[in-house]
Amino acid sequence: MTRVFVPRDSAALSVGADEVAIAIAAEAKKRGLKIDLVRTGSRGLLWLEPLIEVETPKGRIAYGPVQPEDVTSLFDANFLSGARHALSHGHPDDIPYLKRQERVTFARIGVIDPVSIADFTAHGGYEGLRKALEMKPLEIVTAITESGLRGRGGAGFPAGIKWKTVHDAEADQKYICCNADEGDSGTFADRMLMEGDPLTLVEGMTIAAIATGATQGYIYVRSEYPHAIATLKRAIANAVEANYLGNDIRGSGKSFWLTVRTGAGAYICGEETAMLESLEGKRGMVRPKPPIPALQGLFGKPTVINNVLTFGAAPQVLARGAQYYKDFGMGRSRGTQAFQLAGNIRHGGLVEKAFGITLRELIYDFGGGTQSGRPVRAVQVGGPLGSYLPEAQFDLPMDYETFAANAAMVGHGGIVVFDDTVDMAKQARFAMEFCAIESCGKCTPCRIGAIRGIEVIDRIIAGIERDKNLLLLDDLCQTMVDGSLCAMGGLTPMPVQSAVKHFPGDFDRPAKLEAAE
Amino acid sequence: MPKIKIDGSEIEVENGTTLLQACEIAGAEVPRFCYHERLSIAGNCRMCLVEVKGTPKPQASCAMSVNDLRPGPNGEPPEVFTRTPQVKKAREGVMEFLLINHPLDCPICDQGGECDLQDQAMAYGIDRNRFHENKRAVEDKYIGPLVKTSMNRCIQCTRCVRFTTEVGGVEDLGAIGRGEDMEITTYLERAMTSELQGNVIDLCPVGALTSKPYEFKARPWELRKTETIDVMDAVGSNIRVDARGREVMRILPRSNDDVNEEWITDKSRFVWDGLKSQRLDRPYIREMGKLRPATWNEAFARIAEQIKATAPDRIGVLMGDLNSVEEMYSLKTLATQLGIGNVDCRQDGSPLGEAGGRAGYIFNPGIAGIERADAILLIGTNPRMEAAVLNARIRKAWRNRAVPIGVIGEHADLTYRYSYLGAGPDTLVELVEGRGDFIEKLKNAKAPLIIVGAGAISRPDGKAVLANAAKLAQACGAIKDGWNGFAVLHTAAARVGGLDICALPAQGGRSTREILAGASSGDIDFVYLLGADEIDMASLGRAFVVYQGTHGDAGAHRADVILPGAAYTEKSGTFVNTEGRAQLAYRAAFPPGEAREDWAILRALSELLGKKLPWDSLDQLRAELYKVAPHLARINQLVPADAAGLQELADRAGAMASDAFHSPVRDFYLTNPITRASFTMAECSALRHRTRLQAAE
Repeated sequence: MTRVFVPRDSAALSVGADEVAIAIAAEAKKRGLKIDLVRTGSRGLLWLEPLIEVETPKGRIAYGPVQPEDVTSLFDANFLSGARHALSHGHPDDIPYLKRQERVTFARIGVIDPVSIADFTAHGGYEGLRKALEMKPLEIVTAITESGLRGRGGAGFPAGIKWKTVHDAEADQKYICCNADEGDSGTFADRMLMEGDPLTLVEGMTIAAIATGATQGYIYVRSEYPHAIATLKRAIANAVEANYLGNDIRGSGKSFWLTVRTGAGAYICGEETAMLESLEGKRGMVRPKPPIPALQGLFGKPTVINNVLTFGAAPQVLARGAQYYKDFGMGRSRGTQAFQLAGNIRHGGLVEKAFGITLRELIYDFGGGTQSGRPVRAVQVGGPLGSYLPEAQFDLPMDYETFAANAAMVGHGGIVVFDDTVDMAKQARFAMEFCAIESCGKCTPCRIGAIRGIEVIDRIIAGIERDKNLLLLDDLCQTMVDGSLCAMGGLTPMPVQSAVKHFPGDFDRPAKLEAAE
Repeated sequence: MPKIKIDGSEIEVENGTTLLQACEIAGAEVPRFCYHERLSIAGNCRMCLVEVKGTPKPQASCAMSVNDLRPGPNGEPPEVFTRTPQVKKAREGVMEFLLINHPLDCPICDQGGECDLQDQAMAYGIDRNRFHENKRAVEDKYIGPLVKTSMNRCIQCTRCVRFTTEVGGVEDLGAIGRGEDMEITTYLERAMTSELQGNVIDLCPVGALTSKPYEFKARPWELRKTETIDVMDAVGSNIRVDARGREVMRILPRSNDDVNEEWITDKSRFVWDGLKSQRLDRPYIREMGKLRPATWNEAFARIAEQIKATAPDRIGVLMGDLNSVEEMYSLKTLATQLGIGNVDCRQDGSPLGEAGGRAGYIFNPGIAGIERADAILLIGTNPRMEAAVLNARIRKAWRNRAVPIGVIGEHADLTYRYSYLGAGPDTLVELVEGRGDFIEKLKNAKAPLIIVGAGAISRPDGKAVLANAAKLAQACGAIKDGWNGFAVLHTAAARVGGLDICALPAQGGRSTREILAGASSGDIDFVYLLGADEIDMASLGRAFVVYQGTHGDAGAHRADVILPGAAYTEKSGTFVNTEGRAQLAYRAAFPPGEAREDWAILRALSELLGKKLPWDSLDQLRAELYKVAPHLARINQLVPADAAGLQELADRAGAMASDAFHSPVRDFYLTNPITRASFTMAECSALRHRTRLQAAE
């Protein structure tokens, strides 16, 4: 029976993957052909979605983007045997976009049935956990430390140190919490992993649990990810059934239970302490740190909080060794990062690549320039609170330290591209507006600064007392940076100030008042 | 102990000290709005920013402990700066933000003159606004009859929310909306239900929450402040009474870690309007069934005539709940001189003071001792109603240390979780006999605490209940070296003082119950009520009644002669709280009209009776008083009682009736003549009653 792979990733679904799957099944039935239709994650080549694949003796052959009306012609061309077709891309791994990548965490995505334990283990899944179960907890922590793995949520805190803190803490209960509240605009890697290979996340969290002595884990997923939630729940149920989760995991005597919790739509709940509050059933408000969650986290107990991709990297570190992972990257940024190309870009999608790649390579070599065909003017890296970078900075290597030195941040690896029609003053205003809408309201600088920041930028846009208001904006941003309780308020000035700095022309407006007179 | 350098001077502080506290210790003032040392740390106002050497950004000093800082490379202590330009600029930035939205209505704001924001703006504010857009506008909220809101002024520090949740133990207040739309409110704008809600007024650093009854009444600088003692319950909360002229304008708490921390109940805070109405401001004499105003001389003559015509054993003397020790001692001395043995300071009819010595009637471990207790049993008491501030301490023990708490008595909401063991004496017997789960918890505890309430011992079988409670305390190891966990929780401010001076029936004399029974049956012809209003006046029968007190309450209505006395804010007097701590109250205002201080009234009366009390001044009176009860001279100190007496008490354990225990406080807001004269208290009571009806319907 021929296996046909149709993605069920949200990105693919949004361009008709379900309809394509139905059409393929119907067409096969009509023609009396027996096929095994497998729903997978997405390979991350979003402009080719729905990208379907067929398993042939020569390997997999990919076709895309496929629409339901293309299905008849695909069958006519005998795509089930991998025959040529206008939409054919040959072996997917040979598509340059994929071939140039270093898929470590995302190696199985788009390849396997996301919830199938058999598929998962057949492709090297649970190898990391198997090794972890043979190791002492401290050895696991050491391996993570040596791999140089840093938190992928944005802050880049060394995962090993965090795990070590929780490992060393004494408590009757410890928790593992996965921050899957992926709220940054232009990011989707967490979702893709959860929809396309959730067991990697489950495996990573299980490893963390064994390393630190935690017995309960929570995955905090934003409510906007219904498919990820469903897939995770299914995957967890299957893992429990196969005894990869639950009591006495694979006869090891270790126990770990995992629960999926759904957020309620607040961006701030992606901040780790607000996420803890939300998990505890409270209003999602930021907690002051210290105490750090590694010592007093969920319900006051030591808690490992990592991003989806941090946990997702752990199995490979264990399976292939710390050195393997460490060999990727540059400087103190080791391993691979899942860059997400979005915005005005021709070939948007997921690029997993070692740290050190430049923006230019990502935007042009992978992304193929803008969708509109116009020149790239600015790129926002690291989500809505990341800096806007001008062309002059496109050759900076992707590395936490290099970016920080240039008043920018790698963040969660989201890259949003703008062409030369963008109005950077409006983008700066958007940053303040985003903060005003999403601020939890707890601390003064963020609560008041964001809303007043909008007004000041409005005055600048209207050409009112430009110099005075730019100075005021600078003071306002400084108070937000200096005084904010969490990164939300502290980083909001980053896009604003980078826009002012790199695109000063956009803030030099003629006064509207005069024009009206 | 960690060392830290603050603005160049090195100090050593205790582990867990916050940077803010360390700065204060070093003498560096740090502005703050949200931080409060008795509440959890929120870290949201961002006013307390300081510079920590080695960190790029200013740090909120309230949210960081000295232990969070690392020493320098050569082990030198971490350095904190509070006066650098960076710190000043950061604080000025935060202040500017706060003032963007805060209205400029100080001239009509009740907080004016005692406003943290006003004060800090003097230090960190600038004299002009750089933001000219509209200020944020928020609708005012109804959160009850006591606290007025003016929500435009709110700076979202959440002290009020944290107080009600953490200390009050009710989740009444909370925030709705996010970001700039965040507002503080109660759910659906219902009234708060805490007995401690008034404290949010003090906690509010701005004028968002102010006192409703005090609204637009006075400015702080017009008020004469008197530090004194509260008498609304037996906690002896330390208060400050603010008066203008003859009028008490408001009551505020004072800090005393051993007694009330810095909280007071709503009754203590808002009862002051009761000091102005229903007052007895001149003597009265009943003639032809009607009271008529009289002169002091007429009133005294009438009393003297009656006393001289009555045999001493047919005279009874009862003392109420709000008396100071001085007047009780005066009356007791006078009674003794007149040969009257029927004297009782326990108008509720309890058997306290009859056995066991002082340890048998005080809250032995002390109120602060609750924080040492690691298992607590409440017998026949609802501390939330009887001593709400003390209840907050129990809640603190439960909240911070998960102390197991058991209750025998009413199944009420005490603001903490407890094991409900049973309703009455049967359960107490079970524990005494060593049965049930909870006895193990008490026995395993290092410092078990047995709190027995006034309601449990004022019953006819109170003697046995008290004895059984003492026996249980012994049995579970609550009485040992360094710890006496036997605690009587009084409800009357006067009671321990009365017991300390032995204002009890003399040998062969009658107790409260017996005096009342005697009056009913005609064996008692004359009853002197010193502020005693909580007795059944109907049982006074045909006796001639003298009422000396402050308000036209139950006693005055029954009286044949009324002598107008001074309320607790109008006299200097000693009050001994439930733990046996003697504290001095001071006069904040003068009594109304012809009313006089009570000891002076009794001194004058004694002269007329030919039994002149041997003192001419309060100082002389106290000198005599300290001879009979020397520990009363140790003002503000906790004088421990000899626990040996409890053996005698425990030995008296006998059979008890099986009726369930009831708290003597049926209505928190109406427990004494002053509260019953207070409009505010009446409103609170009606509201609570209505809420209860709605809930029941």
